Amino acid sequence: MTKVVVGAGSCGIAAGAQKVYDALHAALRDVSSAELKITGCNGMCFLEPIVDLYDGAGALTRLVRVSENDAARIAEAVKREDVSALADLVIDPEDALFLEKQTRIALRHCGVIDPEDVEDYERTDGYQAIRKVLSSMTPEEVIEQIKISGLAGRGGAGFPTWFKWNAARESAGDEKYLICNADEGDPGAFMDRAVIEGDPHGLIEGMLIGAYAIGAKEAIVYVRAEYPLAIRRLEKAIRQAEEKGYLGEHIFESDFSCKMRIKAGAGAFVCGEETALIESLEGSRGMPRLKPPFPAQAGYWHKPSNINNVETFANVAWILLHGGEAFAAMGTEGSKGTKVFALTGKIRRGGLVEIPMGKTLRDVIFDIGGGIRDGKTFKAVQMGGPSGGCIPASLLDTVIDYKALGATGAIMGSGGMVVMDEDTCMVGMAKFFLDFTAKESCGKCVHCRLGTKRMLEVLTRIADGNGKDGDIELLEELCASIKDGALCGLGQTAPNPVLTAIRYFRDEFEAHIKDKTCPAKECTALVSYAIDPEKCIGCTKCARGCPVHAIDGAVKQPHTIRADICIKCGKCAENCRFGAVEVR
Amino acid sequence: MGLITITIDEHKLTVEEGTTLLAAATQNGLKIPNLCYDGRVELYGACGLCVVEAEGVGKLLRACSAKATDGMVVHTDTPRVVRARKVALELLLSDHDGDCKAPCTKACPANTDCQGYIGLIANGEYTEAVERIKEKIPMPSSIGRICPHPCEKQCRRARVDEPISIAHLKSFASDMDMASDHPYVPSVEPDTGKTVAVVGGGPAGLTAAYFLRRFGHSVTVLDAMPKMGGMLRYGIPEYRLPKRILDREIASIEALGVQMQNHVKIGRDVDLQTLRAKYDAVVLAAGAWNSSKMRVPGEDLPGVLGGIDFLRAVALGEAPDVGETVAVIGGGNTAMDACRTAVRLGARQVYVIYRRTRDEMPAEDLEIRESEEEGVQYKFLTAPIAFTEANGRLAGAVLQEMRLGEPDASGRRRPEPIEGATQTIALDTAIMAIGQYPDLTGFEEAQATKRGTVAADESTFATSLPGVFAVGDMTNKGASIAIEAIGEAQKAATVIDRFLNGETVGYKKPYYVERELDEAYFEQFQKAPRAEMPTRAPAARKADFGEVTLGFTEETAKKEAMRCLSCGCQDYYDCKLIAYANEFDVKPERFTGEKHHRNAENLDSLIIRNADKCILCGLCVRICDEVMGKTNLGFVGRGFHTLISPAYGLPLEQSACMFCGQCAAVCPTGALLEKEPVKKRVPVKERRVESVCNLCAALCKTDVRYVGNTVLRCLPYGEQGLLCKGGRFGLFTVNGEAKGASEAELSALREQIAAYGSDVAVVLGPTTTLEEAAFALMHFPNVYADMQNTAAGFVGARKLGIPSVTAYRGEKAVLLLDCKKNASITAQFTVALSNAPAEGVDAQVFVAPFTANDGTYLKTETTFAVQRAAVASPLPTALAALAALSGAEPQTAAQIAELLKHGALANCTQDTASDREIIRTGGRYFGNTASPLIDGFCGDLC
Repeated sequence: MTKVVVGAGSCGIAAGAQKVYDALHAALRDVSSAELKITGCNGMCFLEPIVDLYDGAGALTRLVRVSENDAARIAEAVKREDVSALADLVIDPEDALFLEKQTRIALRHCGVIDPEDVEDYERTDGYQAIRKVLSSMTPEEVIEQIKISGLAGRGGAGFPTWFKWNAARESAGDEKYLICNADEGDPGAFMDRAVIEGDPHGLIEGMLIGAYAIGAKEAIVYVRAEYPLAIRRLEKAIRQAEEKGYLGEHIFESDFSCKMRIKAGAGAFVCGEETALIESLEGSRGMPRLKPPFPAQAGYWHKPSNINNVETFANVAWILLHGGEAFAAMGTEGSKGTKVFALTGKIRRGGLVEIPMGKTLRDVIFDIGGGIRDGKTFKAVQMGGPSGGCIPASLLDTVIDYKALGATGAIMGSGGMVVMDEDTCMVGMAKFFLDFTAKESCGKCVHCRLGTKRMLEVLTRIADGNGKDGDIELLEELCASIKDGALCGLGQTAPNPVLTAIRYFRDEFEAHIKDKTCPAKECTALVSYAIDPEKCIGCTKCARGCPVHAIDGAVKQPHTIRADICIKCGKCAENCRFGAVEVR
Repeated sequence: MGLITITIDEHKLTVEEGTTLLAAATQNGLKIPNLCYDGRVELYGACGLCVVEAEGVGKLLRACSAKATDGMVVHTDTPRVVRARKVALELLLSDHDGDCKAPCTKACPANTDCQGYIGLIANGEYTEAVERIKEKIPMPSSIGRICPHPCEKQCRRARVDEPISIAHLKSFASDMDMASDHPYVPSVEPDTGKTVAVVGGGPAGLTAAYFLRRFGHSVTVLDAMPKMGGMLRYGIPEYRLPKRILDREIASIEALGVQMQNHVKIGRDVDLQTLRAKYDAVVLAAGAWNSSKMRVPGEDLPGVLGGIDFLRAVALGEAPDVGETVAVIGGGNTAMDACRTAVRLGARQVYVIYRRTRDEMPAEDLEIRESEEEGVQYKFLTAPIAFTEANGRLAGAVLQEMRLGEPDASGRRRPEPIEGATQTIALDTAIMAIGQYPDLTGFEEAQATKRGTVAADESTFATSLPGVFAVGDMTNKGASIAIEAIGEAQKAATVIDRFLNGETVGYKKPYYVERELDEAYFEQFQKAPRAEMPTRAPAARKADFGEVTLGFTEETAKKEAMRCLSCGCQDYYDCKLIAYANEFDVKPERFTGEKHHRNAENLDSLIIRNADKCILCGLCVRICDEVMGKTNLGFVGRGFHTLISPAYGLPLEQSACMFCGQCAAVCPTGALLEKEPVKKRVPVKERRVESVCNLCAALCKTDVRYVGNTVLRCLPYGEQGLLCKGGRFGLFTVNGEAKGASEAELSALREQIAAYGSDVAVVLGPTTTLEEAAFALMHFPNVYADMQNTAAGFVGARKLGIPSVTAYRGEKAVLLLDCKKNASITAQFTVALSNAPAEGVDAQVFVAPFTANDGTYLKTETTFAVQRAAVASPLPTALAALAALSGAEPQTAAQIAELLKHGALANCTQDTASDREIIRTGGRYFGNTASPLIDGFCGDLC
């Protein structure tokens, strides 16, 4: 019997996994020795679609970048129980290192089990942690284990999870809520989506344990509506858990009852901020509230509430099964366990990476991620999305640890890691993230609503070559004011990308302002395109590809670009196979 | 909760544990700025203005939410705190679109509130208008006549048609006030014991004296001339400014207690040293009395006069014989005064010799026109190069012909001589009006400028001599127009006042938000020509020194005032944002960037919304939701484009809004304002008085805002106050002309009614006030209220025990009160009466020749009593008329109101839960008909 498992996370499906699945489904119809299954994202997004073949002994053959056209020969191979004909599809051993070098706790089931099959989950210790908890532990003991584990909030702030649980537990009142924050909004971050899509029961189990610990009878998952697959799988998982009795009244015949529901958010970044999330849950506009009171005192409907991120909950069942010490054995003095990162940008192997705390950025970006694409040079990595900061090459040996990362001006963040190479302009990068936060500001605080707007304007004029003396100082002043003046995390952290960009790449800002040049040649207002007549062979490809017909030239004659028409889109440089298009 | 001790800025405070820092400060009279806080709604924390620094706490704390802890040491004015607040304000202002003040006000060197007094004139509030003007100018009748009005040059009405006649309106209002029985008398602070000597009794000196006296200082004005007034008296001819007007205005300044000494010249009668020793401060304002010389041959001949010397001699009654032919050299206003004076002295031929053309003349265009009408001849592009002599005196002038060359530094084209082109004219008198400079004899101790004026600091007006200040024509850049001198003196007075209190604080130009408007904006206004100032016919006026202008009629003035575009923000005096902006000395220019110009003010609504002025403090949204239980306003959009709006961007009228106006009441800026029941909206410092809404039996307390005799707004009273639409906006007929009845009408009616004895029924109509109802009840035996047709006010009437008209018992005569002499209302009464028991109405029906409550609503114990009681009738019109009809002793409105409050209606206050609920659900008077409580209303309250 061969198990044929198609990676069917959103990333896989986007790469064509559904077509592959459908084709395999048809091709394997008559192959009785095959069982076709799906699984969540295993993290190797750069190789999707992925098809895993497990033979009768459980040995794995991993096929990558599979197309629906490969279905027939895969079926044939499965039928013959001989995969040698699929050698061209089998994963490159070097790429396989991507997974081998990781330590997976939160992602332990992702890409392994069928997320839509509760029994698959049960077979891998599923719901054993909650069973153990309900049969043998008091809430205080649960909290103690979490405390021992050193688990901290994985949403970005890194606040000790046990402390929040304990505060909610100790808050007066018997109506309490446990909320999961799955409003993953950082550009380039997709850890939570992968967990929900790949291991919804793992999330449910973690939340049940949390609900038991704080004394909540209702748990809510606030998930962004842009994650339809995650919502569907979670809905299905909740139904299955209810049917199995893992959710509902008297779970495992204990006194503990808990129901769970999903609230789909409408796509406001700020709703990832816990008090704005609560407002949104209550049906109001998502705008942050003043803290204190903290949600643990007065949260959802002003009842004690505890809010944790998806990844935080994804660790909980493991911790309870293996003990807090096992988790705490991984990591550094101040940061325990593992952390999941979404590695994107100019990286060779982009995807989800889970590693123990204490590894260095270099380990993640070079060892696991394989370094920069296309032979370019690493310039910086943006950690923590729009709330985080960039870390330059000189600090690549920084260890992954809340404190160490914080010292660079960046943050651990929720796990977004956007890798930039020499072609990335840091002014443009800062502008990009600020554009994001400025647009996503809920509009409540003066500093955030108007401060980010004015900062964006200053950055825009710098990028456009209209920067003025004093602009960097103005940015720094605005950054300080916004950090002081904003009410919530969105505003308080919005200056981070700009501050770190100035801190590490001040010369680049100055080049824009004083010399009116963009060293990375990315700011269109400051660059011009020209064709080197020596190199141009007159193939006309650039002219044909130019969206505004700015390139003149006869066949086999050097071409020229008309600067007055050129929109500097870079299409010609991309199209030219002879390196004849120069960016100045 | 125990008591704890905290320290805020050196003040040790004992407060309840759990108190917020803001509350702790406020309870102890300390101020912490805030824009989004209101005790009635949940904490919000958006504005970032209330931040403070606490020792040992790294982050700035929001005082609105941070709780005081025992031993906490808080600082509210550290550099970090001030910087944070300043940045918050600057950011807010960087996207705040509007005009705090109108361009006219900003153009006025004295910063006169032109829009304010024009708006008050439009509403017939002349005394209030004068009060407004006299905050800046002590002699408006005079200045209104002679000011070259820089304000009008900036008037935006000119972009529709022509500027408002601002200067004339000023003298109009002031003339009206002066002619009234009780002209405005400015307030004077208690005596400070400080003494100030003012040298010079012209516009600058008088202004300095006026303001310093109002600050409570003892002021003595010393002037070398026989009378006070300076240039206004000796430089401006009688036909432009009759001296009786000036005399009256000077007298009004003297009446404040300013000492005035004439015939005192510095250096001759007293020296500066002595003054400095004798007084705590000395203000130099001696003007510029020397005529500039041309430096041409023959200039010193008899018959060649200086412009100001000539005008002064005329004013002193020592007019020289100018002969037949006179030439005035120069193109400014002094030249105009000189040439027109020469005409009036009998010269047959008067020339104005000017080296440029008419377009470059600095004189007022109107002056040039009027001089031409009076026969003055202009010789443009000529300049005298020599005066000729015959018989030891002037015989003529040689004029060099000129042409215009390249523009000079002033932007005017420079006149250049045309080689060899000269002409000669015969003259009896030449008057050189090309400029004036001060005579610094006696002032040598004070440092002078290169221009030969006294050097004074631009912001502190301080000279090189400690305690000596200088203003007006004798300082810095020298002679200018009167209003410049007044503006300087007014600013200097404030600085000197601080100086006398031991402080040195220079004048700082206030910060205002300004906006740019494109032509499209002006297309919304209908064209209406500027009011022409009527003048005497040229032939008549040139024969004497009588005033040329005849003045506006009241009708013309009001009409002209209505033309004002009301550029300045209606909320200026209430706006917290601009107050803080000036307190924190903001410079928002550094954050200049995209700004919203939505230009969508809905002026026709009861609640006027202007998103361009919204600072998104959310108070309106929250008060609507949390206090009123409505959600008629909400936030829309994100980031920079976040907006507060009713659902779907529709007008409030299409929402469930019941116009309680709470949103407008809490709005800290001009983003939400009430429509005002006035002819013309006008930003003013409102006066306020506590009153009671008498539109229903809830008798909500109100905070009535008014100016003069015009009610502007009716706000909920106090922190917890609530009003329904009725209380808030039910005063829309308030400012109508009070329709009193004539004595003859009243006595005729009284006789007719008296014939019926006690067989008269008085039927109270729709908007009769409770006071009027009570009064009627006291003095007439049979009073009914038209319950069906009356408004809910009569729920209150029922409380007074007044039966419904349906209980009418068939008295022989019926007096219908308050039907506004309106046929349809009268008919409704009659229908109501016919619903009465079987007897029907066969009585004689009289219609009261006055309307109750018309023009008197709310004035019962408020504006009327406060403002007019002393000067007009002791009672509002209707009460007075009722008193006349009943033959009763008139009682004051306040007495009646007092009776009501402690009598039948004593228990009706809005403090009960049901009252508040009624108000929340739409009130009674203009109530939301969907309100389930309306039907049960009487049961609840009466």
